[in-house]
Amino acid sequence: MSVQPGQVSSEIDPPSETPGESPPSGLWRVASGQLAHNRAAMGALLVLVVIVAACVAAPLYARYVAHTNPFQFNVSGTTVSDGKTVPVLQQSTTGLRLGVTPIGPTWSLSHYFLGADNDGRDVFARLLYGGRTSLVIGAGSAVLCCLLATIIALIAGYFGGIVDGVLSRLMDFVWAFPVYLLAISLSVVLLASGGLNVGPLHLASNSLWVPTLIIAGCYLPYVARPIRGQVLSLRRSEFVEAAVGVGASDVRIIFRDLVPNILPTVIVFAPLMMAINMLTESALSFLSIGVRPPNASWGTIINDGIGLLYTRPAVTIAPGLALAVVAVALNVLGDGVREAFDPRGRRFGRV
Amino acid sequence: MLRFALRRALSTVVVLWAISVMVFLIFFGTPGVDPALRIAGRDASPQVVATVRHEYGLDKPLPVRYALMMYHLLIRRDITSYVNPGLKVVPEIASAVPVTLSLVIGAAVIWMLVGLAMGLVGGALRGSPIDPLLTAVGVLGVSLPVYWLGEVVNLITQSRLHGSLFSWVPPPGYVSPAQSLSGWALHLLFPWLTLAVLYAGIYSRVFRAELVTALGEDYVRTARAKGISERRVLFRHAARCSLIPVISLFGLDFGALVGGGALVTEVVFGLPGIGLLTYNSLQTLDLPVIMGTVLYAAFFVVLANAVVDVFYAALDPRVRRA
Amino acid sequence: MHRNRRTMLAGYLLAALGVAACGGSSKSPSAEVSASSTSVTAPLGYQASHAGGTLHLLLNASAGSIDPVPASQVPIVQADADVYDGLMGFVKAPGPAGNVVVPDLARSMPLVSNGGKTYTFTLRKGIRFSNGTLVTVQDVLSSLRRIYTVPSGVAGGLFTSFVGASLCLKTPSACTLAGGVSADPSADTVTITLTAPDPNILLKLALPAASIVPPNAPRHNGGDTPIPGTGPYMVASYGPNSALTLVRNPYFREWSAAAQPQGYPNEIVETFGVPVESEVTEVEQGQADGVLDPLPADRLTELSTKYASQVHVSLTPDTNYFALNTRVPPFTNLAARQAVNWAINRDAVVRLLGGTQVATPLCTFLPPSVPGYEHTCQYTIGSSATYSGPDLTKARQLMRQSGDAGAPVSVYTANDPVSEAMGGYMVSVLNQLGFKGQLRALTNAVVGAYFSNSKNKVQAMLSGWFPDYVAPSDYLLNNLSCASFYPDSAANYNQAEFCNKPIDAQMYRALSAQATAPARADSLWAKADEAVMRLAPEVPLYANKQVDFVSKRVGHYAYNDQFYMLIDQLWVR
Repeated sequence: MSVQPGQVSSEIDPPSETPGESPPSGLWRVASGQLAHNRAAMGALLVLVVIVAACVAAPLYARYVAHTNPFQFNVSGTTVSDGKTVPVLQQSTTGLRLGVTPIGPTWSLSHYFLGADNDGRDVFARLLYGGRTSLVIGAGSAVLCCLLATIIALIAGYFGGIVDGVLSRLMDFVWAFPVYLLAISLSVVLLASGGLNVGPLHLASNSLWVPTLIIAGCYLPYVARPIRGQVLSLRRSEFVEAAVGVGASDVRIIFRDLVPNILPTVIVFAPLMMAINMLTESALSFLSIGVRPPNASWGTIINDGIGLLYTRPAVTIAPGLALAVVAVALNVLGDGVREAFDPRGRRFGRV
Repeated sequence: MLRFALRRALSTVVVLWAISVMVFLIFFGTPGVDPALRIAGRDASPQVVATVRHEYGLDKPLPVRYALMMYHLLIRRDITSYVNPGLKVVPEIASAVPVTLSLVIGAAVIWMLVGLAMGLVGGALRGSPIDPLLTAVGVLGVSLPVYWLGEVVNLITQSRLHGSLFSWVPPPGYVSPAQSLSGWALHLLFPWLTLAVLYAGIYSRVFRAELVTALGEDYVRTARAKGISERRVLFRHAARCSLIPVISLFGLDFGALVGGGALVTEVVFGLPGIGLLTYNSLQTLDLPVIMGTVLYAAFFVVLANAVVDVFYAALDPRVRRA
Repeated sequence: MHRNRRTMLAGYLLAALGVAACGGSSKSPSAEVSASSTSVTAPLGYQASHAGGTLHLLLNASAGSIDPVPASQVPIVQADADVYDGLMGFVKAPGPAGNVVVPDLARSMPLVSNGGKTYTFTLRKGIRFSNGTLVTVQDVLSSLRRIYTVPSGVAGGLFTSFVGASLCLKTPSACTLAGGVSADPSADTVTITLTAPDPNILLKLALPAASIVPPNAPRHNGGDTPIPGTGPYMVASYGPNSALTLVRNPYFREWSAAAQPQGYPNEIVETFGVPVESEVTEVEQGQADGVLDPLPADRLTELSTKYASQVHVSLTPDTNYFALNTRVPPFTNLAARQAVNWAINRDAVVRLLGGTQVATPLCTFLPPSVPGYEHTCQYTIGSSATYSGPDLTKARQLMRQSGDAGAPVSVYTANDPVSEAMGGYMVSVLNQLGFKGQLRALTNAVVGAYFSNSKNKVQAMLSGWFPDYVAPSDYLLNNLSCASFYPDSAANYNQAEFCNKPIDAQMYRALSAQATAPARADSLWAKADEAVMRLAPEVPLYANKQVDFVSKRVGHYAYNDQFYMLIDQLWVR
């Protein structure tokens, strides 16, 4: 089940014409040159670099600027707003005096810039820390997903027949499988057992590997399917048939002839998948089955903010906007990469 | 062709079967979910739990339990919920379908109209400043988290501007068209728009890309050389061919959404459709309802995939051999 | 679970060991604390001019079975109170009066004989079910058997003292209650015989589980199919995920204004599945009349200023605590448990919940609404009777003494936002003390069953208790007596796995004093509570306040501990 719908599979589908002689070695140089001249893509890259740098600097900000620990509850603390010392969580003083409201944005970088959440923690500092988590999960799952999808697509497309049949149905299975159920069940299993040991790896319940693996897994078919199509048509191309004819080994054909040809497609997929995966991560966290405390991600901060939506919308809106900005930048960059590899929209444009 | 379709149908059944088995195993592999405990009431004494376990056949071996559950779900269609005793699952799903269909069809109309118009204008006006503007709007649509957008829309229409601009917006929820047609449309308006934003973004991008490629094709150049007007070239030739992949994409998306893919939209706007039913059953770990909704959803997803594959096979004989 | 999303164990409304306690609990100190904003005067009799109309209430979740036997969630208990009657009934009046039982379908208080072991009830004449048939003594017999044949926690928890009950508990299908309950149709009497005196039996017979229903009611859980009752309303339609509609029972004639008064609205409609925020908005706009869910925290300020006259706040009899498992390290160590008790700031906990108008901090296991509650505080800075803050110096000193610094502690809670925040706070305090705390927030559907089971060796968990009826025995004996610890079972409420023989003896002394010297019993209960707290198996945290929000047109709001908002007494005209 797609959490973040958006099957743009036909957007990047097997090329109609067979690519010419084996690996287009000049393609990479041309493409990177193209990309460097694409102003929109370079702008997007700059935005990404700035956001990543800000998130990397999160501990510095928390420690030296905000003087706060964004993972520590600050239920009884105070801060400074407009030169006055005020409690971080303010008891309502009007009417029936029901409810406690956290402090709103002070717009002062050293004192709760974006205000506090329900537990009195600095939202801006959490936003920076949450960005690290979201970016790591997004990038990690995108890389993992593209890598696994490429392997599956190569095996299915090259060997064909029954191997292809089984792998394709497996992809159908994964695509239609309820991710939520898997996520909920896995979280209960991990929490209850205190973690799983997979070989030498220890998978703790709040490990970031859990959402990373789940997300990478659920989008496998999405990436594998179009690449498999491409491998299929490459497999039937003259130069591969020729290599088979000469008696080249399967491994050699796969690595010498197929991989270099599908690599551009995979590269084009990567930023788009990262954007989709980050949105998916936030949706899972919104449903309380993604990132676990004490970690924070943009999705969990949005989730924290939903309970404050009517009084302190900034807690919800800020991480949502951050997510949207990164996703836009990744999409623009992804478009740039595609254009760089395929200026006339030929390679990936047609079904 | 027929053989291909039959083979595809058979493998669809296998996939659905595998999903049901997996759901069943995952459920019973999760610690603390003992259905006997649920049916007995959580505070029931061990004797009561044991009695319930026996009466409901929960002490039988797993394969027998699986077979019984499938028998009651698919053949007798009288399976009942573990959490709401007596609640029949199949009618519950049936009553949720119209809500999901209302949401998805309305949103689909909006996103197809908006997305295709944006793609068409962008493709036709390449080089003008309008094209990158539309692309930017499309990218933005794809980049907004749907549930977040829904919450923000709720915040604006239900609270911040409810006193002024949006005083006509009813509280979230669903009203059946039989009860009030205008109420139905009003309640669904913002869910439609929210869901459509994402897909309009996707479809405008896909359609524009297809169109641009088509406009570079030989047959279009030939048509132009013949002196056919640019508008005619655009609509008669390029747009028509570019619609094929868009339609196949639509098949996949529509199948997934009808199956409950609009889960977050339904949750955020409180629409009692398949998505919300799935969500609630997962929250309470109510296996019969989970099983019913998951199979229902998987059916549509796999069916849409198969239909699109067959559709392509009909167009391209090479695929059939694969 | 419904009453309150803040504690995952809120569903534990019904459970007890069938050990006796005092009957009426009219002497309750709750009057001064509850109803801080409500000013409900005693009912002046039925005011016909306010009758009629449709009361429209909203509920977020699905509501479960409507059968009265397993009923434990507030909305169902509330609705069933208007549909069903037992031999006895709680008074349907606001405030502490609601904890008193009066004859309902019984004509008068029963005759007690045989040293408190035999109760003889005479049935009122001429009362009909909503399907038109007359209520007979045979129906009482079959209804009491249903307690055992419908799977629930009630039978084993509360109804163990009937002669014949043990057989019914073991093999429900063979349940006859022979020798325990007998009916005499010629005299219209029902005689109940107990294996031992049970001073709480009349309270138990007033619970929804002991409702009298027609003999053809299913022996199993009626689920979503309504069973006819004798109350002022009957269920016209019910779908656990869609709606409940109550309409007037045409056969109802008021026989006791205390136990089952006439209702006001002609129709009560509850719509399920509405998002909580929209519920509030709808009531603000007058499109619905009341919210059955806990109000969302971000709306409280708005409600308490703009809609103050429509908001009603009452202290509930629930108690919420942080349980420390006395049989799993590190909390096998008394000093470690006491250190946690000194360190946790109840004021901070209350602030996390929404402030002192939403919850009240607790120092004792018994909350203020219960007889036996004493206004005292063992773990507070300074030496005041009122909680005034943590004493971290004492806590750290005890920590050093315990030698448990560095011990890992997993804290279990449900994964809803409020529970998670509360659990996060517990973990941060544990870390402050030098433990290595970790939060384990499990999905609501499994968390209670998981951490209650001693097999899972859970060290610490956030839990809570809703009484079956407001009596100290229902709290202390069910949660902290040796007998209340069921090893290896999800039905264990003694999550601290606490068992102390001298304190047990103290509790049973208090219990036996109830019948003869209620005042002395109350002070004995208070002493038992104090003794328990000295051993610190739990950290009492807070008692919730029920905040009800009703529409502008609603009048005659009333709350009591047993039924919460008395929905059929609301005026919509």
